[in-house]
Amino acid sequence: MPAGRSRGLPANSPPAPGARVYRRKRRSWAGLIYVLPAVLLVLVFFVLPLCMTGWMSLHNWPLLGESRWIGLGNYIALWKDRGFWRALSFTAYYTVAATVGLLGVGMALALFVERPRPGVGFYRTAFFLPVVVGFASASLLWAWLANVDSGLFSPLMRMLGITESPYNLLATFTPAFWLVTGMVIWKMSGFYMVILMSGLQSVPTDFHEAARIDGATRTQRFLHITLPLIRKPIALALILSVTGSMLAFDQFYIILAGGPQNQTMTAVYWIFNQSFVSFRLGYGAALSVVLLAILLVLSVIQLRLLRDREDGR
Amino acid sequence: MNNRNLLAGMTVAVLIAPSAAYADSFTMWARADDSTFMTKIVDAFNAGHADKVELQIVPTGELVQKYAVAAAGGSAPDALSLDLIYTPSFAAAGQLEDITDLAKSLPYFDALSKAHLSVGTYKDKIYGVPFSADASVLIWNKDLFAKAGLDPDKGPTNWAEIRADAEKVKTLGSDIYGFYFSGNCGGCNIFTFTPLIWASGGDIFADNGAKSTLNSPAVKDAVAFYQGMVKDGLVPEGAKTDPGANFFAAFATGKIGISPSGSFAIGALNSQYPNLHYGVTFLPGKDGNKSSFAGGDNFVVTKGTKKIELIKQFLDFAYSLPGQTLLAKNGSLPVRADIAKEALAGLDERYLIPAEAMNVGRTPYSVVFNDLINSPNGPWNTTLNNVFFSTPDAIDQGLADGQDAMQTIIDQAAQ
Repeated sequence: MPAGRSRGLPANSPPAPGARVYRRKRRSWAGLIYVLPAVLLVLVFFVLPLCMTGWMSLHNWPLLGESRWIGLGNYIALWKDRGFWRALSFTAYYTVAATVGLLGVGMALALFVERPRPGVGFYRTAFFLPVVVGFASASLLWAWLANVDSGLFSPLMRMLGITESPYNLLATFTPAFWLVTGMVIWKMSGFYMVILMSGLQSVPTDFHEAARIDGATRTQRFLHITLPLIRKPIALALILSVTGSMLAFDQFYIILAGGPQNQTMTAVYWIFNQSFVSFRLGYGAALSVVLLAILLVLSVIQLRLLRDREDGR
Repeated sequence: MNNRNLLAGMTVAVLIAPSAAYADSFTMWARADDSTFMTKIVDAFNAGHADKVELQIVPTGELVQKYAVAAAGGSAPDALSLDLIYTPSFAAAGQLEDITDLAKSLPYFDALSKAHLSVGTYKDKIYGVPFSADASVLIWNKDLFAKAGLDPDKGPTNWAEIRADAEKVKTLGSDIYGFYFSGNCGGCNIFTFTPLIWASGGDIFADNGAKSTLNSPAVKDAVAFYQGMVKDGLVPEGAKTDPGANFFAAFATGKIGISPSGSFAIGALNSQYPNLHYGVTFLPGKDGNKSSFAGGDNFVVTKGTKKIELIKQFLDFAYSLPGQTLLAKNGSLPVRADIAKEALAGLDERYLIPAEAMNVGRTPYSVVFNDLINSPNGPWNTTLNNVFFSTPDAIDQGLADGQDAMQTIIDQAAQ
């Protein structure tokens, strides 16, 4: 042992093993106390409702009256629930249409307003404005615009010579579906524009200059430089769009009430009906758990695809 | 405030305290649709009685959910003015107090709306008594009738007349239509379309709601009647997708000749569209006759309430002539047939039509009324929307599918 040590431990020497454990324990307790409010918030507002939903899904739980344990009865019933699977398949169809539209239009807008030039602030604000309108308000507005008797679209179509007589856009599936999808693209593409614009602005200009000197065209530069470098913002936009679309409800409820003939019934709309029209809260909870599981799988797949590409595999 | 004033105030407070302590109160909820007459009748009761009613108005679409949450938490109101069609499902769920004795003790029990009492009864016990009423009627635009060369004071009395009158009105212009109904509204059509079937001798249910009879001759006839008017352009294009938003508003534009509606429309048209001249008549059957949907609220009591005596006091007041008159003046038809005419005295004479219609009014009985009828996605609405706006050869299959879908829900609920 060095002489110095025998005269006592210097201030910065390591503490005795017992004291070290004690201090580490104290530090971990202190850390726990610091994060406790956040943990409590997560427990109360996320974990507990999730557990409660799982618990309810194992019961015959009517809105009025006593609940009764039925084990996996609701999950067995939902396999045979053609309405739910039909709603889920429509939701998937809508998700693909909305996501392609949102990312496509969002990217076009982002490229348009990416670089500073005169008037770009106005365009950015104008494109982003619909995002701050609530989904319910936007849906009510579009429901009115599409109303064949008092709205604007039908007279406009007649004025432009597209139709000869009043045309009810909400009466058949194809125009009704694209009207709602169009409304969502109008309302949300500004949000995706912001995400993608931040990605575009982070691409170093040197890369583009070097490629231009090497004779790369604008399309080649976009496909081979820009797109690979903004993979992360694209992935974020993709996950947000897929998750949001899979949970679509307000717009189909307000504009179409699931019509025509229940053809635009989304998965969440079906869950809402089971829970608050048929008053089957337990069954609604089971459907919610299944939808959550589907969303979880979809998100994991998207993240994995992104990670694999990032690692160059 | 000096000490002497404070002492005097405290003395007064002590002296009046005993009388205040004897006053009691009970809590009651009502849906926002009824807020006008509910507020008036509660205010009138509270003004004349030491005991009070504490009324809370709840948004119409949220009443069932809010009540369920309150009941689960033990804070449900003592009484509830409940859309009468929900009475069977509330009673079946064990939420309501059996008030058979209270109802039968009323000296005018036999004069109370039979339709309300029929849906207020579950397994031979009374859980709901009539409180407010709304009947369905047919209204026509007198000005358009006159312009079309029709007698403006004579409404149609059977389906052929409705069709013929609608055709004549349609000739007045491309933006004028003969007939209007909300084609994507289950609630509107149970209220105004079923009476056409009832008055023709048919029904959509049998065995007290246990069997769906949607695929029956009288229903087919009524559907074909509506479908024919749609096909021939007598009904505006927007009717197909109207979820009820224009149920009243379409007629109020003054561009519709005839429309099935409700007694509520009389007050609304008089106050909001005083220049619109209209007539009111019964909803007829194919060859005449008349029928009506008996709508409105049943008064129900939460199971286990201790305020039953107080509640009876309030009901006595609401059923009295002043109570029924007050309700009639503020948008509800009287629910006591024996004093209905007196209660309506001095009001628009057209109210006598729905008041009389109430006597033949019916309310379908079902513990799953919401799933079957009210839901925009339920089999009643989707079936009607399909067959009204398709071709004649699609009616049979459409109604057969609708009947199966309704029966499946009824059977599931019975399990």
